[in-house]
Order: sequence, then C-alpha cells, then structure tokens
Amino acid sequence: MKNRDAEIMICRCEDVTRETILKCIAEGYQTLDEIKRVTRAGMGPCQGRTCRQLIAAELSRHYGMPMEEVMMTTFRPPVKPISLGALADAYEHERTGHKHEKIV
Amino acid sequence: MKHIEVMVIGGGPAGLCAALAASSLGAKVLLVERDEIPGGQLVKQTHKFFGSEKQYAGDRGIHIGQMLLENVIAEQDIELWTDSTVLAIYEDGVVTVEHEGKHTKVKPDRLIIATGAAEKFLSFPGNDLPGVYGAGAVQTLMNVDGVKPAKRVLMVGAGNIGLIVSYQLKQAGVEIAAVIEGLPKIGGYLVHASKIQRAGIPVLTRHTILEAYGNGQVEGAIIASIDETWQPIPGTEQKIPCDAICLAVGLSPLTELAWQAGCAMAFVRELSGHVPVVDDLLESSRPGIYCAGDVSGIEEASAAMVEGRLAGLSAAFSLGYEANEAKALQQSAMEELAELRAGPMGQHIRDGINKVKLKRKIGNHAFENQTEKSGIVKDYSSDATNTCRAEIKTSLINDGIPTKEELDAIYPSDKRLTEGPIAIVECFQEIPCNPCVKACKRGAISMLRDINDVPVVDEELCNGCGLCISLCPGLAIFVVDKSYSGDMALIKLPFEYVPVPKSGHFVAGLDRAGRELGRFEVVRVTSGGDKNKTFTVSLAVPHDLVMEVRGIRIGEQAI
Amino acid sequence: MRIDEHPVLSFERGEKINFFYNGQEIEAYPTETIAAALHAAGVRKLGESPELHRPRGLFCAIGNCSSCFMIVDGEPNMRVCVMKVRSGMRVEEQRGKGVVGI
Repeated sequence: MKNRDAEIMICRCEDVTRETILKCIAEGYQTLDEIKRVTRAGMGPCQGRTCRQLIAAELSRHYGMPMEEVMMTTFRPPVKPISLGALADAYEHERTGHKHEKIV
Repeated sequence: MKHIEVMVIGGGPAGLCAALAASSLGAKVLLVERDEIPGGQLVKQTHKFFGSEKQYAGDRGIHIGQMLLENVIAEQDIELWTDSTVLAIYEDGVVTVEHEGKHTKVKPDRLIIATGAAEKFLSFPGNDLPGVYGAGAVQTLMNVDGVKPAKRVLMVGAGNIGLIVSYQLKQAGVEIAAVIEGLPKIGGYLVHASKIQRAGIPVLTRHTILEAYGNGQVEGAIIASIDETWQPIPGTEQKIPCDAICLAVGLSPLTELAWQAGCAMAFVRELSGHVPVVDDLLESSRPGIYCAGDVSGIEEASAAMVEGRLAGLSAAFSLGYEANEAKALQQSAMEELAELRAGPMGQHIRDGINKVKLKRKIGNHAFENQTEKSGIVKDYSSDATNTCRAEIKTSLINDGIPTKEELDAIYPSDKRLTEGPIAIVECFQEIPCNPCVKACKRGAISMLRDINDVPVVDEELCNGCGLCISLCPGLAIFVVDKSYSGDMALIKLPFEYVPVPKSGHFVAGLDRAGRELGRFEVVRVTSGGDKNKTFTVSLAVPHDLVMEVRGIRIGEQAI
Repeated sequence: MRIDEHPVLSFERGEKINFFYNGQEIEAYPTETIAAALHAAGVRKLGESPELHRPRGLFCAIGNCSSCFMIVDGEPNMRVCVMKVRSGMRVEEQRGKGVVGI
C-alpha cells in the first residue's frame, strides 16, 4: 500500500502533506514558525487557517506537549492577498492626495 | 483617513447585534463585512433557533439574519461596508480595509472584533479530494445557492453542526449514508439526533473515517469503529459509497486580527483554540478593543448575538453614551449569557471563560466591573442551581433514541391517555430552550427554574390542541389521542419536508429509529404558517403503535 | 443539480445566463457563485494543487481557504466560492500557482 501520510493533505494552499510535516518534526523542528519557514505550510493565501491546528496537533503529539504550549505562528498583515495596484493607489493618494494614474 | 466612533469587524450575528446596540445608545458605527450580504452563517441556517424569546428562539436563523440586517440598514447611524475585508489592525489603532477595491485606512475610537470562525480540517488519506467539504460549504451550496452538493453524503461529526446539516441535506433531497462521531457520545443537542434517526439516518458514535477514495473525486469512504484510545478496531472497516464527505469536526476562532492588534491571547480547549482574553464586558487586554461571538470562543449563534449586543453597549457606554440606560442593558445581556450557559451543555463554556477571564481594574476605565460590584447578575453556576443538572447517561446519548425508561417517565397516566388528546414532549436533555412554554396558551408546559430545564406537561391543563408541535425548535413534541376511535388512535407529528402529504394519503409510519411499522392514513394536515413552515400531520394508527410511530415516509423519502 | 422544491426556502434565480468553463458553455443563474453554477453542472474539480497536481474542489465555500482558486477572465487566484457568475465569463481550471500575465 502507498504511504498513507503522503496521501494526507495538511496545507492545501502550499501542498504540504503529513509526510513532509512528520519528516520535519523527525529532523528536530519544534515550532509552528520553524515548520512554516521550512515547508511554507501556512504561508499560502489562506494564511494557515486550515492547517495551523493540524500541524500544532502533530507537534503536540510528537513532543507530548499540551496544545496550550505549542507556540502559535505570528500573524503579519495583511490577512488576505490584496492586489499591488490597490496598495499603490492608497500610497499615491496618501503622498500626493491624488489617485494613482496608470503610466501609459 | 476615516474617523469613526465604533468600528465593528464582521457582519455575522455578533457583529450585526454589536452595531445595532452601539448605535442604539447614540454612537456612530461603521460595520465592515467581507461578504456581499451581511448575516454571516445566519444566511444558511434554515432551522429554528433555540434559546429564549430574547434571542429570537423559535425563528429560523435566515429570518433572524434578515431582520437584523433590515434593522442595520434602517439605522442612520450605522454605515455599512459590504464586500470589504479588514486587512490589518496596527499598533497605533489604525485599521486598514480593502473597500471598493481600494486600500482604505480607518481610525476608530472603539473597535469590536466579531470575525467569527473557520471550519476545522481533518487528517485522513484523500482528505483533499474534490467532494470533501466543510459542513458550512455544503450548507452554502444548498441553502444559499440552491444547488445539491451531492447525491449521497457521509457526515463526519455529531455535534450540532453535523446533526443540523444532515437534517438540512435530507430536506434538500440528499441521502445521508450515516453520521459518524469519534467521541463515545453525541455532542450536539439530542433532539437534533432524534430527528435524523427517525428519518432513517444512523448516528454512529466511536467511529472514524480511515480514508476517502475515488478517482479524481470522492467515490466513497472507509470507516471503522475505534477503541477508547481512538485506535481503529481491525475487522470493523466498512466501505461507504458516497459522492461527498462532509466534515463537521468543529470550528476554530478566526483570531488573526486580534493577534495583530496585540490583544492578550490564550489557548483554551473549551473555547476551541486560541482566543483573545476578555473581561465581563467583553473588552480585551487592549483598552478600547472588544471581541464578541465565535472569535472569543465557539458557541451557539444565540450566545453570539447576545455577546455582540453586550460588546456594542460596552463600546458606546465607554464613549459616554447614555450611561444609566446602558448599565441596565449591559446587566441584562450578561444575565442572558449566564442563563444560556447554565445547563450541562454550557459547562465547557463556563469552564473555559473562568480559566481566562480578564479581571477589570477598577477605576482604570469609565466603567467598572459591575458583576462584582452590584452582585445583581444571577449566579447560574452556584451549586444550588446546578444540583439537579445532569448529563444523560443512557444509550440516548449515543444514538439519540430515548430508552423505554426515559419514555415511561414522561408518558401521561393511562387514565389521562384514554380521556383525549395530550402532548408528549420527547425532550430529555437540559438545553437552553423554552419556546414550548410560551407556545402553550393554557400554561400547560412549564420549566422549573430557567430555560435549561426539561419541559414538563401538566396532564390536566393540556387539552392536546397541538399548537406547540410546530413551535418546538427541536421538533420533539407529539400529540397522542387514544380516544380517536375504537380501533385507531391519532398521532400528530411535526413535518418539514417536501412533498407535503394530503389527507387521505397512505404513508409509511416510522419508529424512532426510522424503521417502517406499516402504512397508515393521513387524517389531517395543518400548516404552521408562511413563516413557521412546519406542518402538523395527523396519522391514524392502531392503538398499540401510537407510542411508537414518530415519523412518516412518502414514497422512498423517510421523514 | 438544482433544488426545485424546498420545505423552507424558495429560490428566485432570475434569468438564465451562460458562461464558459474551460471553453465549454454552461448555463447558470446570476444569483449563483461560480462554484455553485459549476456544481449544478456536475463540475466538482476546480483545479490542480500547485506542487503535487492533486485535483482540487471547493472546501469552505465562504472565502476562508484557497481550495477553489480558478482563473476568471484571465485573472488567476479567484475565489470562485464567493464570486458571482456573470454572463460570458470565462472560467478556467487553475493548475499550479496563479501567475499574473505580463
């Protein structure tokens, strides 16, 4: 039979399977932030909304740590992707009071 | 940069009520909702809500959502931004919003975070196959868009969401293979479980999903029994052909913005994850930032609405709006919350909140900790109130089917049964709900202490009119009439499916586990009204089956 | 399949419109999201995952996750579970990470 863990999706956005997460933990990574940096799990467009808890549960199980102690990742703005155009508009508006004009 | 007195993030039940409460005291409010239509998850809740009149119990979630939204739109002091997502909250209190496709800054005096929750995901092989859906997704497809999500569904999770969505799937004409639950007992309200059991949907506790299979999309699942250590028991595997697997395994608070704002956070299992720590008035550790609804702990929508109201009042009050009235309103909101959480089903919420409740520093704010100072809030957690509160210990908790002992204990006397129609309330669990008490014009249904009590029918006062049948949110009330005729008795049942039977039709009568007991004649069908939408069906059955028949099936559809 | 008769709800869908899924014309109603219209037409696979190319369908349907990303009128990473369908819209499966055309 195929490796079951390779068929279990943990992070849908960045395509990270349970196999990858367990490998990371076996290599000694201990926190959500470390795993996030190494695998990109939780860095995708949903910003970890679906996978954070699953990874925390794996860490908790492996290290015998209660979930309370499994460190949470940091939350950086923005919470959802925004187009660079919208950001540029806002910046331009703040700087000059004018709407950003597209350069033709 | 836009300045506003109170900004509410999230237009779900908590956010709508927060905006209404804050503006009712005179504050200028900006309500920001990421969806096109505010209402949060209320827009797909087709079932009747529990709770008391104050939380609109007995009304369907969709109608409550529409009513709240109409009130918000009618309120001049509330500015509503839909299709707008809050991107970040910064240290200096500036909030950035994607509004009308632009990056906009807002500086509120007070901020209420009511961002709600996201559905939890589950680890099993094939968990990302198309056809593995969150329970909320299935509700959106069928109840908002009117599209059947599948033909045959396996529901994973027997909490309220799993049970309610299974019922709603059945109402939409979708077959449910089974509801499976890893825990040894049903987590949701037992009346929801009873309702789906008598529709022929099995609820299997101590079962788990081993894998989803299918070529490119879900074609089925393999489930198995599990032991006390959650390990699958070899030999119990079952193949369940289905084209969708619906995950109702809990919600996690959507707390990114609370983290960013620098609110003190705590992991509280009872509240379903990391939550911002708040005080009695729902203010977080960051002065001026309040949290209400699922973001500060997963609960029922009725509690979210009251929390929203409390946060809205607290925010406006702290800005100096109508101090005296606000205090009384805050007090009653706190009492409502205490009452909703007073029963055994609220135990975990009480425990969770007590673990991390923020103690308000007296004198630090414009208002003080009123619960401690006034002592007016009724203490529902005291031993005196809770001595009689007990969890169900019989097999009812495993399958939603009441035992003979439980039924015998609520049946009227034989003498009363022969005299004429009488209501049988098959509601055995202490849940916060009391529309039945209000429904009876004769005062025949009562509760001893508060809305968490099990209703009791006075057999002398009840005349079996059956008004309560279509008003019970749990569809747990039936009327039995043994005086109907010499060889037949009458059973009146609540009914919420299509097609609606007509008098003269013969339909299959089902027992509490959905098994067919025979075909019986429909004697009468009455409508609960345009808004209520629950029909009452009277069925003539033999005398010895009148305490057994609790559902009907027309054609292949079990009801 | 659409629900025609429901015990609690009535669906006012308005006039039928057409849109394109991978070039194929599909009927829909303007009240529906793209994901719902595709479901009604029996399409549940909306794309492929970025690295492992596993088939993807919708998961949350309220814009929380990213499972339903598709290319809509040439623009990738569109959350079709919350995006309403419009007449003539061109919707395509997204394979791999969405890259904005230059």
